[in-house]
Amino acid sequence: MKRPLTLDTLAIGLALVLAAAIGLVILLGGQMGVRAAADLPEGRLVGPYQVITLTFSEPVDPELTAALWTLQPQVDGLIDWPNPRTLRFTPSRPFSLDTDYELTLRPGAVTPGGREIERAQTWTVRVREPLAVVLRSVNGDSGLWAVDLDGNTSHRLTSESVKVISYDAARSGDYLVYCSANEQGGIDLWRVSRAGGDDALLLDCGRDRCTAPAISPDGARVAYSREAAGPGPDLPYGSPRIWMLDIANGQNGPVYADQQVIGYGPSWSPDGARLASFDGLSDQLRILDLTNSEQFIFSSETGDTVTWSPDGAFFLFTDMLQDENGLRTQVRRADLTLNKTDVLIGLNDRRDYSYGSLAWSPLGDRVVLGLRVADDKPGESLWLFDPVVLEGPMIANADGVTYNAPVWNPWGTALLFQQFKLRGEYVPEVSLWSVGDVEPRLLTEGLMPRWLP
Amino acid sequence: MLNPAAWQQPPRMPYNLPMESTSPRRPSRTLIILVAVAVLAAVLFSIVPGNLFTWLWEQLNLFATVFLGIFVEAVPYLLLGTLASGLVEIFLDREQMARLIPRGSLGSALAGAVLGLVFPVCECGVIPLTRRLFSKGLPLPAGVAFLMAAPVFNPIVIFSTASAFGWGRMLLWRLGLTLVIAVVVGLIFSVEKDAGKVLKMATPILNPNPIQKTSLPFTEKMRRALVIAADEFFEMGRYLIVGAMLAAAMQTFIPQSALLSIGSGPLLSVLVMLALAFVLSICSTVDAFVALGFVGSFSFGSILSFLVFGPMVDIKSIMMYRQVFKPRAVIYLVLLPLLMSLLSGLVFNYLLP
Repeated sequence: MKRPLTLDTLAIGLALVLAAAIGLVILLGGQMGVRAAADLPEGRLVGPYQVITLTFSEPVDPELTAALWTLQPQVDGLIDWPNPRTLRFTPSRPFSLDTDYELTLRPGAVTPGGREIERAQTWTVRVREPLAVVLRSVNGDSGLWAVDLDGNTSHRLTSESVKVISYDAARSGDYLVYCSANEQGGIDLWRVSRAGGDDALLLDCGRDRCTAPAISPDGARVAYSREAAGPGPDLPYGSPRIWMLDIANGQNGPVYADQQVIGYGPSWSPDGARLASFDGLSDQLRILDLTNSEQFIFSSETGDTVTWSPDGAFFLFTDMLQDENGLRTQVRRADLTLNKTDVLIGLNDRRDYSYGSLAWSPLGDRVVLGLRVADDKPGESLWLFDPVVLEGPMIANADGVTYNAPVWNPWGTALLFQQFKLRGEYVPEVSLWSVGDVEPRLLTEGLMPRWLP
Repeated sequence: MLNPAAWQQPPRMPYNLPMESTSPRRPSRTLIILVAVAVLAAVLFSIVPGNLFTWLWEQLNLFATVFLGIFVEAVPYLLLGTLASGLVEIFLDREQMARLIPRGSLGSALAGAVLGLVFPVCECGVIPLTRRLFSKGLPLPAGVAFLMAAPVFNPIVIFSTASAFGWGRMLLWRLGLTLVIAVVVGLIFSVEKDAGKVLKMATPILNPNPIQKTSLPFTEKMRRALVIAADEFFEMGRYLIVGAMLAAAMQTFIPQSALLSIGSGPLLSVLVMLALAFVLSICSTVDAFVALGFVGSFSFGSILSFLVFGPMVDIKSIMMYRQVFKPRAVIYLVLLPLLMSLLSGLVFNYLLP
């Protein structure tokens, strides 16, 4: 006679089956070894500064694992371990365009107990085609547009309901941060992705004005200028001060605890260790080393944004000199190692060339400078020169046009800048100049260009 | 599931829950215990070396802090659960219950597993509520599945898990595995046709309830629901206190760091996280944020097993299970989720990418 199933029989039976299954999984799993997964975008198309993260199925020994890990062709960068299961590679130089990079993890022991990666794993990545971003005004509303480098296709990144005042693009090319006015009369910080259409409020500034965002090179923080609203609606705004927002945790506060320190136009050094800003009250450039809170102060009469050398040890800025020949601008080079400056350009000028619009190439071998080449030419031209020998060609010098706001791509091979015709219809345009080109190529309408690599 | 014997039992007032009564404690015994504790403390104070006493004092402080942490976190949810229980007792009748829950074992277990979407309670509140639902005729597989799944399968915990881990893999697997384990355990219990063999109740679960048949005014019904909730809160609260004290003692004398240092390999990491889930006794509404702290140090599989097993079984819930189920059933309610959580954690650690 068949015995009916009882709770005890079934429960104990299931427990035994589960115990057997557990044993089987342990047995099979032991033969599979340690596994790793790479955190890479779909299609394996990455930005030039893509951080590559390998997550292991269990904690591994950093030294043993680093010996099994290779990236070909080699790229300079930093390997760190945020936790015992995660290897993170942050490139210090950009991945090259048109190159397949192979990330390989070879078999071998990776844990102190001798657990191994049983099979080699390989991931291939390739840098995506960079885009240009411009600020365009359509029917009175200014928005951000991404444009391909042929200038043929473009798409709007920001929502039509927002009006962009200024912005910055992350070095990774994954997102942008922009400023837009709010209903209280203040200016907020917003964030939008590379794909666009997903605008999200990053920082509600209330009645305060948060402007001139500068995203840190690692993309984790945003420095910006903040003007506090007056105590009443009709009372004036306070002086701008530099604030910092941590994107991950929302932590937000002034960079300088001293309320007397004012500043605008924050600019990060390429390694993200230093932050420059201009104090318009005392006409000083103030550089803060975020690693040790050391401050460097240099006087400047122009208030232009600085441009950094690739290693962050130097920067160039413009200054004004008053002498018997009148007022003249100069380009000065600050050496943060020696804490001193010298005149790079304009020491013996007999007239004012109105130097401005500086951009130091990421390779360090070229600098672009805006200047007025002749008294009878009101427009600004762009001169490309070698910072060592101070020689080079003019790259944008058409009559009746003024050029400014140059920005290099991450590889130092191409330059975007804006231009205005001095006569006729006022239409801001953005041009592209590539190394080897004799003349720049008109790319699109718009202003304030940035790269979106 | 109908047990004719049940209908022969005399009707009881709803706030007299159909459960084993506990005898009142005599003051003299309490006094004796207090005196004994005082004497023991005095003896300890006089004989132990100074540094040992300091250590004991620190441990006692730690114990008190951990105990209060667990208790204060759990008590609002117990209150919610008992309130829901009181409302069920007054406003839900047996016919409605019979209409709501499918009769088949699988359907019944599935319905019980997703019932948490209607009753958002965590593991403290789900026990009194389940007991009440049993008394209203909830089938055994549905009740067991509800008990297992409701602490996870409810809107509050779904949102808290999504807040911690996003609307992605962790949330989906947590919900999916919880559902599977709850339904499987519910189905296992469905073979037991006589619920009285697993439920620790003095009267059978299909006890007819007279209160719904009367047409009391709404305010009176609410008053009675609150009285029932209050009675049940104090009754279950005792077991919550004992459970929280045990959990606090475990955490005091087996520190989290000691557990974490045992190992983080594919097997040990799951065992450690299961042990942590059991010892920490964190409410399921906040456990995802605690688990988030282990991301990076522990694998996906071990964190998932923590999030699946913890809401089903921990020290304080075992204490409370014992008031509803007979010991044999409690063993199965602990063992089966433990093995299934362990298996799923290991599958993720060893086999899945």
